[in-house]
Amino acid sequence: MYEYVPAVPLLPLVAFVVALVAGRYMPKRGALAGVLAAAGSLVLSVAAVVELAGGQAHAETLFTWAGVPGLELTVGYLVDPLSAAMLVVVSLVAVLVHVFSLGYMNDEGETGLPRYYAGLGLFTFSMLSFVLADSLLVAFVFFELVGLCSYLLVGFHFREEAPSSAAKKAFLVTRFGDYFFLVGLVGVVVTFGTSAFVGDGGSEAFPVLAEAVLAGELSADAVTTFGFAPETWFAVLGLLVLGGVIGKSAQFPLHTWLPDAMEGPTPVSALIHAATMVAAGVYLVARTYGFYALLPEVLAVMAFVGGFTALFAGTVGLVKDDLKQVLAYSTISQYGYMMLALGAGGYVAGFFHLTTHAVFKTLLFLGAGSVTVAMHHEEDMWEMGGLRERMPVTYYTFLAGSLALAGIFPFAGFWSKDEVLFEALVHGLGGNPLLLGAYVMGLLAVPVTAFYTFRMVLLTFHGEPRSATAEDPEPVRWNVKGPLVVLGVLATVAGVVNLVPVHEFVPAVPEVLHDWLFHGPEGLDGEHYEELTRRFAGYTAGTLVAGEAGTVLVSAGVSLALGLAGVVGAYRLYGVARPTEHTDRLGAVETVLYDGYYQDEYQVWLADRTADLAKVANRFDQGVVDGVVDGVSSVGLLSGRRLRRVQTGVVTSYALAIAVGLTVVLVVVGLVGGWLP
Amino acid sequence: MAVPTSYYVVLSAAMFCAGLFGILTRSNALTFLMSVELMLNAANVNFVAFSFHHGNLTGQTFALFAMALAAAEVAIGIGIIVTLYRNFGGTDVTIAREMRW
Repeated sequence: MYEYVPAVPLLPLVAFVVALVAGRYMPKRGALAGVLAAAGSLVLSVAAVVELAGGQAHAETLFTWAGVPGLELTVGYLVDPLSAAMLVVVSLVAVLVHVFSLGYMNDEGETGLPRYYAGLGLFTFSMLSFVLADSLLVAFVFFELVGLCSYLLVGFHFREEAPSSAAKKAFLVTRFGDYFFLVGLVGVVVTFGTSAFVGDGGSEAFPVLAEAVLAGELSADAVTTFGFAPETWFAVLGLLVLGGVIGKSAQFPLHTWLPDAMEGPTPVSALIHAATMVAAGVYLVARTYGFYALLPEVLAVMAFVGGFTALFAGTVGLVKDDLKQVLAYSTISQYGYMMLALGAGGYVAGFFHLTTHAVFKTLLFLGAGSVTVAMHHEEDMWEMGGLRERMPVTYYTFLAGSLALAGIFPFAGFWSKDEVLFEALVHGLGGNPLLLGAYVMGLLAVPVTAFYTFRMVLLTFHGEPRSATAEDPEPVRWNVKGPLVVLGVLATVAGVVNLVPVHEFVPAVPEVLHDWLFHGPEGLDGEHYEELTRRFAGYTAGTLVAGEAGTVLVSAGVSLALGLAGVVGAYRLYGVARPTEHTDRLGAVETVLYDGYYQDEYQVWLADRTADLAKVANRFDQGVVDGVVDGVSSVGLLSGRRLRRVQTGVVTSYALAIAVGLTVVLVVVGLVGGWLP
Repeated sequence: MAVPTSYYVVLSAAMFCAGLFGILTRSNALTFLMSVELMLNAANVNFVAFSFHHGNLTGQTFALFAMALAAAEVAIGIGIIVTLYRNFGGTDVTIAREMRW
């Protein structure tokens, strides 16, 4: 049974406490506790997957947090194929990042390490708990905690100005999205009387209730819709929750925090801003997919935002000079693909891309971290070059990650990206022109991705060294190379978990992830979601040429050809001994791209315009809200100040008070009790 | 011929009121102590009277306990008064009023 599952998040929590309390006395400043805890979580997650493969999904309520009869807010966990698979992804990345941190932080002689490892532990705990959440409420709590950990770790070097302001920005921008999530959460609870993802004996899950209402099996009076038609009101709720998703998964227009968050230590960027926290948003959509699948408008918004973000962020990555900035925009772009997949009804495709992306993006970030160590914390790619011969392990693993990111056959990213685009294409052809628009944007992002990825690889590792440090980089140790090798192998082969196109032609080849996500508990499996999107959103699969098989081939062929075109383009421009800055030829466009389409500027402008409103709100908070609280306490304070005069210190008056009091009590008792006439 | 119980009760009430009057009007700590003794003994009179009235010995036993308690209380009371005298140069309880708001 699954009694050990709560230990998966609790182990890192223990590591957090240990690192915080005793970290400074420990040999590696708390790192070992973190590594052990994360490894323990990984082992238990794998055990859960193994057990789930032969058994049933399991949901358990741990305790009732608050509530009245009929509206109870409970805390519990849910182990189903989706959450178990995500647990493995998160804890695997966490282990590798902890090990890598030994090389990146400890060996570099950083100070404040117990704080760093405590942050990593708390983050791992929050993320794993978020994954296991059995209701929107619990998910929200850990969603917020994950944001807090991001704040703490981005601002790790809090004495410098840039990291601390980036930390604030990351917190505030994601908080802005979470505000909508909070309103949506309250809306869901009020509407359905529950926010559970899965029903237990007494109550149903909210997606199931929503489905029943929309299908007409349940009267619309069973839910509170505030006078709206159920479709409209559910779409509003879906969009509100999607606000939190867009903030956390760095989708346009709330993506601006992620590039700045690169100020944090590189392992943190790998763990939080590439593989897990940013994945929280996408995971939340996958978790509540039974609800989103009912709402065609919200799905369309999701697909369009995703496709647009994929293209838009990719173009910014084309011109960045800083290694981590390229990766940051690439992350935003890749999460766009996942949103596109989910919006296009590709539940499995979205989660598949999340998994492979977690692997290859962690790999790329850790590779970038390795380069950073070697280059003495120089991150400008124009100061690098020629690192291929000097750090072969980093080069070849980084290359594997880049090929995966660019979507080149047969690396992991090819399979997942192809499936994302395939889903968008067939559902678009099936009568959703909007999805076709999103598909075109996603397709255009393919060569862009391949181009910036290989521009990055070529500038960093190829050609001749362009600085003294690049001539003679600092060697890195096993604790850096080990995680890179593990991830490099995974990035190469992880695609085998879901060889859908191959399965199309050779049915003997299994599509493991697909089957895995399709065998979940009732109402939480991919098959059910597919039916929902068909029934409620009208998603039917169309074909291009020569039936389904032909469409698969054409889709894969087009995206692979575009990816290869991007790679060749990058090689033509930058694959020479002494590359020059071709971005200058873009003229004014370069400035626009380099500044990320002035998204920061307009958001700052907006923030300035609304400063007066914020001041009014602040005054309201200080004056009215705090005023009421202070007023209540001042009543007690004032009466206490008066009442204490009773304490004169003269013993006679106390004796008098006792005597009079006793007499009064006696008389009253006597009168009430009827002893006195 | 036995004295009726009500007489004892009246005596006891009178003693108690005398003690209470002493506490409320006097300011000398020694008078205080004596007044407290008076009130305590009013209770003792009640104990014995009702013990006799009901014909069981529990009340008399309690009276003995109360006497032992009173002895202990006097010992402590005298100690407090000595300290009071040392610190405030007198046994007037209205002078010692440091413990107030």
